[in-house]
Amino acid sequence: MASASETMTAAGPQGAGMRERAWYPYLLIAPSMITLVVVSLAPFIYAIYLSFHEAKFGRVRDFVGFDNYMTLLTDERFWNSIGVATTFVFIAVPIEFMLGLIGALVLNQNVRGRSILIPLLFMPTMMAPIVVGLLWKIMLAGSWGFFSYNVLERFNILGETSIFASPDLALYALIFVDIWQWTPFMMLAFFAGLQALPLGPYRAAAVDGANPVQMFFHITLPMMTPLLAVIGLLRFIDAFKVFDTIYILTNGGPGISTETPSILANKMTFEFWNIGEASALAVLVWIAFFAFCSIFYQVAKKRLNAF
Amino acid sequence: MRKIWCFAAALAATTALTVPMVVSSAQPVLAQDAGFYAKAGAPYKGTTIRVLDEITPLQETLSKIVPDFEKETGIKVEWELLNHFEVINKGQADMLSGRGHYDAIMLHGAQLGPMLSAGVIMPLDKFVADPKLSDPGLNAADFIQAPYKTTAFSDGKQYGFINWNYNHVYWARADLLNNPEEKAAFKAKYGYELAPAKTIEQMRDIAEFFTRKKGSTLAGQPLTSDFYGIVLEGIKGGSTFSNLWVNFIENYGGDLLDKDGKPTFDSPQTVAALKMWRELWTFAPPGIAEYSLVDVPTVMGNGIAAQSLAWSDFVLGIDKPGVSPYAGKFVYAPIPAKAGNEAHRHADAEPSVTVISAASKNPEPTFLFLQWLADKKQQDKLIEIGQGGVPIRESSWAAPAITGSTNPTLFAAMKSSLDVATARPKMEKYPEMFDAMSGIAQQVGLGKMTPEQGAKEGQAILVKLCGGKSCTL
Repeated sequence: MASASETMTAAGPQGAGMRERAWYPYLLIAPSMITLVVVSLAPFIYAIYLSFHEAKFGRVRDFVGFDNYMTLLTDERFWNSIGVATTFVFIAVPIEFMLGLIGALVLNQNVRGRSILIPLLFMPTMMAPIVVGLLWKIMLAGSWGFFSYNVLERFNILGETSIFASPDLALYALIFVDIWQWTPFMMLAFFAGLQALPLGPYRAAAVDGANPVQMFFHITLPMMTPLLAVIGLLRFIDAFKVFDTIYILTNGGPGISTETPSILANKMTFEFWNIGEASALAVLVWIAFFAFCSIFYQVAKKRLNAF
Repeated sequence: MRKIWCFAAALAATTALTVPMVVSSAQPVLAQDAGFYAKAGAPYKGTTIRVLDEITPLQETLSKIVPDFEKETGIKVEWELLNHFEVINKGQADMLSGRGHYDAIMLHGAQLGPMLSAGVIMPLDKFVADPKLSDPGLNAADFIQAPYKTTAFSDGKQYGFINWNYNHVYWARADLLNNPEEKAAFKAKYGYELAPAKTIEQMRDIAEFFTRKKGSTLAGQPLTSDFYGIVLEGIKGGSTFSNLWVNFIENYGGDLLDKDGKPTFDSPQTVAALKMWRELWTFAPPGIAEYSLVDVPTVMGNGIAAQSLAWSDFVLGIDKPGVSPYAGKFVYAPIPAKAGNEAHRHADAEPSVTVISAASKNPEPTFLFLQWLADKKQQDKLIEIGQGGVPIRESSWAAPAITGSTNPTLFAAMKSSLDVATARPKMEKYPEMFDAMSGIAQQVGLGKMTPEQGAKEGQAILVKLCGGKSCTL
């Protein structure tokens, strides 16, 4: 009895202490959670609210149900922007991915001057997007652009037009700029992953007589898959949201040939002041992304053992 | 539409040198005329008003005069100048939010429709009718009437005085047009004398004539790079569409809207104007679809093109020694009319007003300030200090700085444009319309869309935006 009593006596204060400390983790994460709610969640919930209202010129007027969504879904311009962004992403990201992976594999071969090469390669990614935009404007602008003037016009390559003035070429020029800016990021992220791979499997494979190609496909690639999946997904999301460089270089033109959802949403909000429809556009894009990322997550988790 | 980053510095430097002398010499005059504003401003002495305006050489000059108002009335003015896009975004956001940080905000004529429909501009009628606030010597009849009447008033109410009469003029290289060899060659080819274009057709001929490849000669000199017959604004947004709309379509007898405000863009006149627009683009530099209203004067100032239609206040920043190597070699003329339709000529302009925000907490002193700015004395001083400028008053054309200008054809061209200049129709959906139509202007100019398709698509967009109703307020 005495021991039981002692145990109970001892358990009492200990249990109370644990209960008292139960709030402690919540206290620690509270600042970041409050920041997240205030900065991210609250505006997003407000955007959903606005998307169901007629909100023009900063005034929230009547509840309109799904009218804003229906207007968008039947608007050719909205679908054009989705098409532009999709083309942009599905050309730019795979090229960045492949070039980045090839570059990382080359860097991983103990090339000479690697410590100098890596910071140099990373320069485009370190630049602010607005600087990248201005830099390529100086290169490719019609008539006075360095490349346009010295190459395209000198040899009459594009006839009476220029790159950013051509609806057929402007989008591909933007894709090229994105590849130029983001391939180094992919390369260095993959290089960091390669550097972290254990050497044991490679030694075992070498003993078994595997050649470098077999090692890549049977050791490197499977071990790198989680990293490739995460980086690929992040880049995919980021590329779809691209705004700054397009805003500087073409602002969606000529016509609407380079108008992405981000550019369109910006126009709807700050030029047309049609905040209800702009909010609906933001929500639609978010839903599409949420669905895509969820599917990607499940597939990557089950099939690729990522995440 | 008024960004002159590159040239503002040069003009600011010039004005900085001249302003102290002129302002100091103006003090005695100020003391003589201080009566009305000193008395009207007395109840508001010590009040601070905030005014947002756009930074161009014109406003930079005006900002030197603003302290006179403070001395005269005791009302403090925080005069904030921002670039074109910031003025639009920041000014509209402040008005629409109802915050009222700014008491007065400069609005381009095109912004008036959306802002009026949002109900964020304070009408001035009660102040105009108040003898304690209304300056009996203002003489509104002296304002250049067409832009004033169409900009400052809407639906029978007054929303401002006229502040900035931005306008387009025809701009050409006089040294080329007067070159004997070029004149002879032009006459041999087209059968009439080479001179500043009076008609759109002549402008087209001149554009074709002077479009030359590198290696050929221009005025007897071998060209080291390609030379172009014309440069026009072609960027999406900016004033590309207003140029097409007023300087071409209206001069061809077409229009965007009919008398009832219903879309009428698919007329044969519009198609004909779009055909000319497309043809002129073939004589322009390859980057024309990227050219903004800032790039056009830059191209002219660098001697890459023979002629243009450009904003006259930009010309003021370019055609001056030390800015362009071709300064003094330019000639200006009225906007060319359609041959046979000269009696009904049109010229693109963007008359603009500074309005009082509906959320202003100081409307009375703000009204006094806006009225003071439009007063003849201040306008005379503005023209004098700026060595010209863009007048808002008829009497300013007789100012010594204009009559004695070294650039008389520029002011004659400005006057010609302002004689027929009107504000844009006040439309709630002006930004959407403008964005879509400038895209069509680009597509037609680039040859990606036929003029017929452009007219048809433009009409469909307007009908959709206006919902079958009148597009105007």
